[in-house]
Amino acid sequence: MSSSSSPMQSTGRKLKLKSKDDETFEVEEAVAVKSQIFKYMVEDGVSNGPIPLPNVNGKTLARVLQWCQKHADPTITEDELNKYDAGFIDVDQAVLYDLLMAANYLNIEELLKLACMRVADMIKGKSPDEIRRTFNIKNDFTPEEEEEVRKENAWALGP
Amino acid sequence: MEIASTLITVVSSQPFLVASTVTALSLLFARFAVRSVRFPNLKTPQSDGRDSAASPKKVCNCVCSCNSGLVAPDSATTGAPYVNGGTAQMVEKASSVAVADRLSGASMMEQLVPEITTHALSYLDYPSLCRLSMTNSLMRKAANDDNAWKALYHKDFTLEQDSVTPANGWKAYYAATRAIVRNNAEFFNIIKERSVAAMSHFWLNADYVKCVHASGELFSGYNAVIQSWQLAFNWEHGVNFQVRDVRARVLTDMAWVTMKTIVDIDAGPFNVTNVFELHNGRWYMVHHHSSMEVDAQIVHA
Repeated sequence: MSSSSSPMQSTGRKLKLKSKDDETFEVEEAVAVKSQIFKYMVEDGVSNGPIPLPNVNGKTLARVLQWCQKHADPTITEDELNKYDAGFIDVDQAVLYDLLMAANYLNIEELLKLACMRVADMIKGKSPDEIRRTFNIKNDFTPEEEEEVRKENAWALGP
Repeated sequence: MEIASTLITVVSSQPFLVASTVTALSLLFARFAVRSVRFPNLKTPQSDGRDSAASPKKVCNCVCSCNSGLVAPDSATTGAPYVNGGTAQMVEKASSVAVADRLSGASMMEQLVPEITTHALSYLDYPSLCRLSMTNSLMRKAANDDNAWKALYHKDFTLEQDSVTPANGWKAYYAATRAIVRNNAEFFNIIKERSVAAMSHFWLNADYVKCVHASGELFSGYNAVIQSWQLAFNWEHGVNFQVRDVRARVLTDMAWVTMKTIVDIDAGPFNVTNVFELHNGRWYMVHHHSSMEVDAQIVHA
């Protein structure tokens, strides 16, 4: 959808990216423009030297670019893509966190949506205690607050 | 933490990114031209750097130059002297806390920037959103967000009432709406079961309650109304019908609901209006009006 939209771009032009821990990546423009950040840079012609990305580490950037590659592939079917996404996002929380932040920073809508939905799936259907355990959230309510919160939500969950 | 997340939002905004990248790139070229003569003093703070321990001077210079007047979160660790102490330290602490917390396995949910949290929460249903709000005070604030509940209201009930500002916020309004909609559904269950006893508990015992049946007959006052239902239940054999397009408007102690009932394909749909009043924490029916829809097209303002 967003590939090869810029008129001055010829196929095969590559973008150089540098992660915060100094790993460099070369990626085709058609793949990179999945990120709105790079899309604007390409359109504005600001993509000469390696683009520094001080907010993304090499490991995460590699993963993200792999995802972009897959999603820029015109031959892949929607079924295959869905299967790929399901496997891609089935990661531990540290990785998920990195993906969320990277997708947000690089403004990659589809990837951000995928990652956010994954977080939502990890919350759905769980009791507050189970949610705490899943995410290692510390309960900091006082007994009075606990009671307040219980009352506040009784309408949805029963007394 | 709040300043940090604001900064992160600022930094990830596109114009800033483009500007800082241009600055970085042009300074990079300048460095090559001038040959490190002007930059020796930057190398000392570089040794403070934590996660970018192996970073060559090239990157450090870019980052440090970017820092003048602005802050890029993780790079602040190497550029501290160039940025006003307080801000750099705040961001430095935030990013190192994030790293430390992630390493020690503490809550990922609480580390996310607000816009990501909002996005993730938008995919939750109301019980999950409620349960999340019960986990801790930070999650309570995030999950009780007014806009989140407004969006959920529009998703689950109706796109109408977009310009409404509920007195107690959207979560409370959502809760009240759900209660009314449940109550309204109960009304139709009572009709299906043809229970006069249940119907007599459902209506408010007052002289101003009224009921206009689909037949066109009006009954006024509690006794007349309940009697009319008794007649209706005795007369009709069990009717199967569907209820659609339920729209509720809830005020402090009064609510009205409009809907369509479809009895069978021949007779057109019926437009129904129910009005409820809140007494002693319970919603009672005070008005019911059912009429057959004549024209298939509905007029919108």
